[in-house]
Amino acid sequence: MSVSGWIFLILSWGLILGLVIFCVWRVLKEPYKDL
Amino acid sequence: MREKWTSKMGIILAVAGSAIGLGNFLRFPSQAAQNGGGAFMIPYFISLLLLGIPLMWIEWAIGRYGGILGHGTAPLIFNRLWQHRAAKYFGAIGIFGPLAIFIYYTYIESWLLGYCFYSLKGTLLRLTTKEEMLGFLQRYQGVSSRDVFVYSYLFFVITFFVNFAVIYRGVKGGIEKLCNVALPLLFIFAVIITIRVLTLGAPTPSHPEWNIANGFGFLWNPDFGALTNSKVWLAAAGQIFFTLSVGIGVVITYASYLSKGDDIVLSGLTATSLNEFAEVILGGSIVIPLAFAFFGNGGAQEVARSGSFNIGFVTMPLIFSKLAYGTAFAFLWFFLLFLAGLTSSISLLEPMVAFLGDELSISRKRAVAVVGIATFALCQFPIFFISRGVIDDIDFWAGSFFLVVFALVECVLFVWVFGIETAWDEIHHGAELSVPRFYKPIIKYVTPLFLICILGFWFFQQALPTFLLKGVPRENVPYVVGTRVGLLVLFLGIGALVRKAYRRKFKELP
Repeated sequence: MSVSGWIFLILSWGLILGLVIFCVWRVLKEPYKDL
Repeated sequence: MREKWTSKMGIILAVAGSAIGLGNFLRFPSQAAQNGGGAFMIPYFISLLLLGIPLMWIEWAIGRYGGILGHGTAPLIFNRLWQHRAAKYFGAIGIFGPLAIFIYYTYIESWLLGYCFYSLKGTLLRLTTKEEMLGFLQRYQGVSSRDVFVYSYLFFVITFFVNFAVIYRGVKGGIEKLCNVALPLLFIFAVIITIRVLTLGAPTPSHPEWNIANGFGFLWNPDFGALTNSKVWLAAAGQIFFTLSVGIGVVITYASYLSKGDDIVLSGLTATSLNEFAEVILGGSIVIPLAFAFFGNGGAQEVARSGSFNIGFVTMPLIFSKLAYGTAFAFLWFFLLFLAGLTSSISLLEPMVAFLGDELSISRKRAVAVVGIATFALCQFPIFFISRGVIDDIDFWAGSFFLVVFALVECVLFVWVFGIETAWDEIHHGAELSVPRFYKPIIKYVTPLFLICILGFWFFQQALPTFLLKGVPRENVPYVVGTRVGLLVLFLGIGALVRKAYRRKFKELP
């Protein structure tokens, strides 16, 4: 895989993992909060 | 009294379950590999930010707003947003679309259950060539012979009843309970397969260059020249659109089971991010790298071009037949796709059932029975005329074209007719996150313009040729025309029910 391929992979994965971790962390503060 | 979700996690997993489907694992990698590799992610992320996330928030907000007024589906919610006689008929697309998709989607979903069985039985892994695998798929579909078709039909009946059993139990007891179990299982299975792929190295000793790292390179090495091609941008926008299940009407119905003070900003974003995790990280790490590692550059190119069905039902079992513990991995693969399909297909049923309950006061039990009988009859068409282009045609109209039309209508109604200030306040009721202010002009101008561009391109590039039956073999023309007449009749029938519901609720018409 080329260097630019690695850059795209790492940036894309990083962006998505960052978003998932942030969102899930915020939700998990009160995961089963009654609605 | 309308049902409510039990927990925040419940609705997030239900919406994520609706969004995560076969497309995450089969369509995305093939689209990315064909449209510029890593460079595809530029228009993909731009579309996510400008189209996917705003539409997700709009649908959650419209749904919660409607639910408070006692409406769980688009027709009468649209009528509340825009007091015009046409509004409710535009909203009817939000019931028609999911129902029409359900008609063929359940059948494809049942293949996954069947392939789970044939993986465990060992039948699939005894097939060692592409031709044998394709031959088995055609036998399974009843296209080439009827010997396996009887079992295929049995798996369809089982899948169909599982869907209705879940819907029958309602939002809390059925959908939420299923998604609370199915989504975590789906992620666990996908992570197990991804780890196996990442640790595979170079499985073909005669070709050490056919390895997983180069397989990832095949998918991720950017071709910047592709960015000058409008088709690549359209493909990325289309992928975002389909993957998030926006423009169908399903998210509106799910969000209608929320209360006024419930958060939608964080919940919507969480469901979106889970879908992206399943698509880009898990979906992007399985099919294409595996195909490259076993078939090399040429083989991977052929796989990427061969379309989702071939990837899922021909290429993947062929690869598993070459892997150690292939039976277990094949079962995990088909079962995770079955779970992805099931959590999507139940969401396709809910709008019709909710409409009958909310607007025509039919009990859930009776509504499920009525929808069950009607859809079982309708499902027979794609099953028995699969080789006649019926599925492709329903998928184009209900699963592609009307999705964009519906999304544009809901976006314009919510942002321009309801008003951006009211819409902004509505989105922020009970919000646990604040939407950045730059999203206000994006939601008001950019998202609708983006949708108009997609609709325009599609109309000329795909809808017009499709409408004029370009590329349809002569012998299939009567079946395709018949499918369209059937879809029109279905839409008119739903339109008549919407009119009845409107009269009943508002008693304004004579």
